[in-house]
Formats: sequence, structure tokens, C-alpha cells
Amino acid sequence: MPIIETKNLTYTYPIGTKPAFEDVTIKIDKGEFVVLTGPSGCGKTTLCRCFNGLIPHFYSGKLEGEIYVSNLKVVNHPIHELAQHVGMVFQNPENQLFALSVEKDVAFGLENLGISREKMRERVDWALKITGIYGLKDRAPYELSGGQQQRVAIASVLAMQPEIIVLDEPTSFLDPVGAQNIFEVINRLNKDLGITIILVEHRLDLTSKYASRVMIMDKGRIILDGPPKEILNSEEARLIGVGIPKVTRLYQILKNKGLNLNEIPLSAEEATKGLLEVLRI
Amino acid sequence: MSMFDGFKFRSVNSSVHKMDPRAKFIYVCVMFAVAVMFSQIIPLLVLLIIQMPLVFAARVQKEWLRSMKGAAGFAIIIFLMNVFSLYFYGNYESLSAIVERSFALTLRFMVLIESFSVFFLTTSPDLLGLALEQSRVPYELCFAFTTAVRFVPVLAEEAQTIMDAQKARGLELEGGSFIKKIRNYIPILIPLIVNAIRRSLELAETMESRAWGATQNRTNLYVLRMGRKDFLLMLFSFAMLVVSVYVSLNVQIPNIIYLLNI
Ligand SMILES: Nc1ncnc2c1ncn2[C@@H]1O[C@H](COP(=O)(O)OP(=O)(O)OP(=O)(O)O)[C@@H](O)[C@H]1O
Ligand SMILES: [Mg+2]
Repeated sequence: MPIIETKNLTYTYPIGTKPAFEDVTIKIDKGEFVVLTGPSGCGKTTLCRCFNGLIPHFYSGKLEGEIYVSNLKVVNHPIHELAQHVGMVFQNPENQLFALSVEKDVAFGLENLGISREKMRERVDWALKITGIYGLKDRAPYELSGGQQQRVAIASVLAMQPEIIVLDEPTSFLDPVGAQNIFEVINRLNKDLGITIILVEHRLDLTSKYASRVMIMDKGRIILDGPPKEILNSEEARLIGVGIPKVTRLYQILKNKGLNLNEIPLSAEEATKGLLEVLRI
Repeated sequence: MSMFDGFKFRSVNSSVHKMDPRAKFIYVCVMFAVAVMFSQIIPLLVLLIIQMPLVFAARVQKEWLRSMKGAAGFAIIIFLMNVFSLYFYGNYESLSAIVERSFALTLRFMVLIESFSVFFLTTSPDLLGLALEQSRVPYELCFAFTTAVRFVPVLAEEAQTIMDAQKARGLELEGGSFIKKIRNYIPILIPLIVNAIRRSLELAETMESRAWGATQNRTNLYVLRMGRKDFLLMLFSFAMLVVSVYVSLNVQIPNIIYLLNI
């Protein structure tokens, strides 16, 4: 049983003339790490809004087709119920923190759910530790760097113990090192806790090595969907202009020149290893 | 260094800061009531001095002095206004009586400023929000309060950025008539408002995603509990109120001019 399933899902914003995305049929299994990418305006954010019910409960408009998340039919369940299954992390870290201390922010969702104080304490500390910000728990949000703020946002959804976490370009406001840290935290959530991850991201250089699956959207449709190596090495991916990892591009160029690596590399380490193997012959 | 810095919360590790905001609020209310009860110099001076130990216990003397200095300007205005109005409309027998009464009323203003300053300097917005919540103020209002406080520095920074950006495009902020000056600020206000609206939408989306409104029985990570010091402060406030009511009803407070025999 997939944890997310959509059938011919199509959505049009109230002020929109054409659908923001159309005819999306996907199945995502528990424990997958999906990287969703595609040119700006292709509908990635809009699709993510369906996963926790922001569409159709917060945004009106026209939603056609079917969508199930954690076996719940999204249109029939309020956002606060879906929020316990799907955590959402947005782009701008600043607008995701509203309490006056880190700790209060992480507790916010649990307070809304009416969880008892002892349990809340436990879960807040747990989430702070996993995301590596326990030491910051009494700080005010404006005293934190963007990367730290984004980790607070992740801890806040993590505390609600969702099975799925959706992150919409969580690092676009961050520097490369901050971004790298965030990706490592996300990877831990996936590998150690088994949380299903859907990550919208343009920086495939940094993320594809963690992914178990890559989806590429264009003009409101999912046009490529499969294992990272296969998708990123495809001709279509390159033509759409998604930023495929440079080492993957290097692999393609070497191949055209007649040098075949055994494996398609996604990271510099894999490329080095592949090159050493081939050059040693 | 503005007068408002004398009211802005400063995080200091003192026992006054740790007190329950509700206890401090009662204290401020009592101070207010008592200050309004008297219009003679002596009791108001006592009120001004009696609060000093609290200021020192909270280790906010510097900020407190700043608020007092800031208030001094207003105090002079209040003093002069009183002298004028009492001279023309009051029936006082001598000028010194008028000056004494005006001075007393100015002192009253200083007492009020002093107690407000102590309250706001030593009460973190976080605790204040919590106190509101526990006083059965609807949660939506408490949330609006803490969120507003949280976004003040963010908006201030944004305003600065917009101002710099518009200046870099040649916007002239200074100079011109009063109307012109106000007009100058429109290119700053509009992006600021548009951004604020966009920000509030994003915030709403995040709140929804964190199960906002899931239950009527919202819980809280912290509870405020009154401690010994809080009860002491409330006891002190209560005693003050009783003594003041007694004194104002039964004791004829002498005027300074009478004492000095002017
Ligand atoms: N709140 C909204 N109301 C109306 N139309 C919207 C809204 N948000 C997005 N759209 C439109 O829907 C389409 C898809 O936008 P979406 O934000 O989902 O793209 P995206 O893939 O996330 O792009 P980006 O990479 O820039 O974030 C765009 O044409 C956009 O103009
Ligand atoms: Mg987007």
C-alpha cells in the first residue's frame, strides 16, 4: 500500500485560467526519498500543497482526480488531521517561526494538538536533538542564522512525528554550507527514522546522492520519474534544463568521447571511484 | 537612545524578571490607583522612592534612568500646562501653591512612568503572552500579541532594506514641505505593506500545517506558577492600597509651603 497515491490529479487556482498541474498519477511508498525538480513555475509547490490538504482546504479552486495520503482521502480530512501525518517545511525560514523562543516554536504544533505537558517536553527535546539544535532552545528566532532557523522549522514538524515530511526548496535562502547541513539532517530523518521524504530542490548536485527517486515536472506534468541515475542521465532531463549534477554530465561527455565508467556517478566521490577503476586498467 | 528603550524588555537574570507577570501587573495597577489617589508632593515622592529597590533588584537602573530622562521632557510640559491652567482657571491664593500642586501632578506622572517602565523592562513578551493565556484571554488574541512582538524586528529590518533600496534608486526622503515629506514615504510604505500581506499568508499556511485549531483544549509547554516572591509582591501591593486608602481618608497631608511657612 503506497503512503501517497494520486490518480489523474488536476488543480486550477481560483484566479487561474489553466491548471497549475494536470493529470498527475503517482505512487510513493513508505521510506522513499523523492527529489522533485523542474523549471520555475511548473507546479511543484502547488503539488506539495495537496499532500497535507492545504489544497483544497486552505486554497479553494478546482481539484479533480483522487489523492490519498496515509490511507486518508485528503478532501475528506481537515488540515490539522493530515498535519499529523505530513509535515511541511516551506521556503522562507523566517515566516515559519512565530514563537519568541526556539523551544516554544517546536512545541507549537503539539500545543495545538493538546498533547500533555510531559509528553510534549519529551518530544520537543527529542526533535531538537535529532536536528542538532538542542543548544539553541532558548534563543529567539531573530538571533539565529537562516540555516539554524530552517532546522528549527524541521524540528517543529518532526516533533509532530509525521510519517511523511515535504520540504519545498528549504535551502533556497541559504548558503551552500547551510544547505549541505540541512540535506544531511533530512537524510538522517529518512535513513534513521524511516520517514518518507519529498524534497523539492534545484540543487541536484547536493541532493541526488541521497535520493531513492527523482521526479521531474515540466509545465504542470510529471514527465520523468524513476531512480536518480537513470533519470539524471536521460537526454530529456538535460534538455529541460534541470541542473543535473556536474559529475553526471562529465560521465556523459566521457562516454561520448569513448570512455565508459562502470556506474553513473551522482557525487564527486562516486565519480572519483569510477574514474580510478577505469583508468587503472 | 530613545525614550522607548526605557520600556523595552531587557533579558537580565534577576528575581524580578522571574516573577509572575500577573503579580507584577497587580502591582502596577495598585501603583496607578494609589498615585491617582494623592495630589500632594509628600505621598507622591514616597511612591517614587519606594519603587527604587525594585529597580535595583532587577538591575535595570540604566534603562530605567533612560525612561525617566525621556519622560522628563514630557514632565516639563505637564508642569507648565498645569501652572498655566491653575493660574488662569483655578482659585489658588498664592503662586507658590500653584507651583506646588503642578509639581505634585508632574510627580504623579513620573510615578506612573516609573511603574510602567519597571513592568515592561522586566517582563519578557513570552511570559506576558503566557500570562494572558492563563488569564483566559482567548488564545487567538495571545497568539496575535506574541506574533506581533516576534515580527517587530523583522519588519524594522525590512523597512530599512526597502528604504536603502529606494534611496539607491534616487528616492529623496529628506527635504520639502510637510506634505511632501509624507508623500516621500509612499514608495516605502507600499512595498512594506505588500510584503506584510504576503508574509501573513505564508504564516497562515504554516500555522495550518502545524495543526492550528485542532482542539479546543490547547495545552502549553509552560505553566506559570506563583511563587513566594510573587505572593510577597502582591501582599506588598495590597498593603500599599490599604494604607493609602486609610491615609487619604483620615490624614490631613500638609503642604510643603505650609511646612516651610512661605
Ligand atoms: N497562490 C496562487 N494563486 C494563483 N496562482 C498561483 C498561486 N501559486 C502559484 N500559482 C501559479 O501556479 C503555477 C505553478 O506555480 P508553483 O508555485 O506551483 O510553481 P513551482 O514549480 O513551485 O515554481 P518555483 O520553482 O518558482 O517555486 C504558476 O503559474 C503560478 O503562477
Ligand atoms: Mg515553488
